Amino acid sequence: MSAFSDALSVSSSGLRAQAERLRVVSENIANVDTPGYRRKTLPFEPGEGRDGVRNVQAGDTRLDRSDLERIWDPEHPLADPAGFYDGTNVDLIVELADAREAQRSYEANLKMFEQTRQMSSNLMDLLRRG
Amino acid sequence: MFQNLNVFQTAMALAKHSGLRQALSAQNIANADTPGYHALDIPDFEATVRGSEGSQRATRDRHLHGLRQDHLPEPTLRRASVDPNGNSVSIEGEMMMAVAASRGHGRALSIYRSSLNILRTSLGR
Repeated sequence: MSAFSDALSVSSSGLRAQAERLRVVSENIANVDTPGYRRKTLPFEPGEGRDGVRNVQAGDTRLDRSDLERIWDPEHPLADPAGFYDGTNVDLIVELADAREAQRSYEANLKMFEQTRQMSSNLMDLLRRG
Repeated sequence: MFQNLNVFQTAMALAKHSGLRQALSAQNIANADTPGYHALDIPDFEATVRGSEGSQRATRDRHLHGLRQDHLPEPTLRRASVDPNGNSVSIEGEMMMAVAASRGHGRALSIYRSSLNILRTSLGR
């Protein structure tokens, strides 16, 4: 029985981490046109579960330090004397790929959770009906 | 005579084995995107049973050789292809492992239930 509760807790930690990742990705996508916005990244770290179970948790968000895009638009209020202003360093393709991967992993975790619950309830049925 | 039936013991061992496997599979899937994580696995139930067959069998903690019935194997690292970030989990492989665990668990419970029914029928209830 403890194997099942371990499995449920580790699956839920995976769900939480993937949901957080999806949130960061959607922040990046929402700010794709905000001047001066740097894309956020979220590292996954092994967390400590009970007796050797390795949960997963999302670490602290970091900012991507790569160069911002230079956009030439002399009419823009933020433009410098040369006519350029800083865009973002968000790449939509990268963000969409990341979102798709997060969704795939989320579904896998959810499926695992569902299956473990099913196995556990089968065991309970055996006790109930004997 | 009916205190320790072999079929119940075997079914219970299979159910425990499948439960552990399911837990490991859930852990692997949860860590599918963690850098540097290595997938864990345990040997098949058939392999552990075959290992204890025909050889000495330990029935107490202090016995030296053989496997006890309720003994669970230690998880081992799976050496598969590794991603650039050092992660060796393959979601597809984990799905196979989880389905195998689920089927094994269902099989063990069915065996348990049908043996229980036989006992009950023989008692005339």
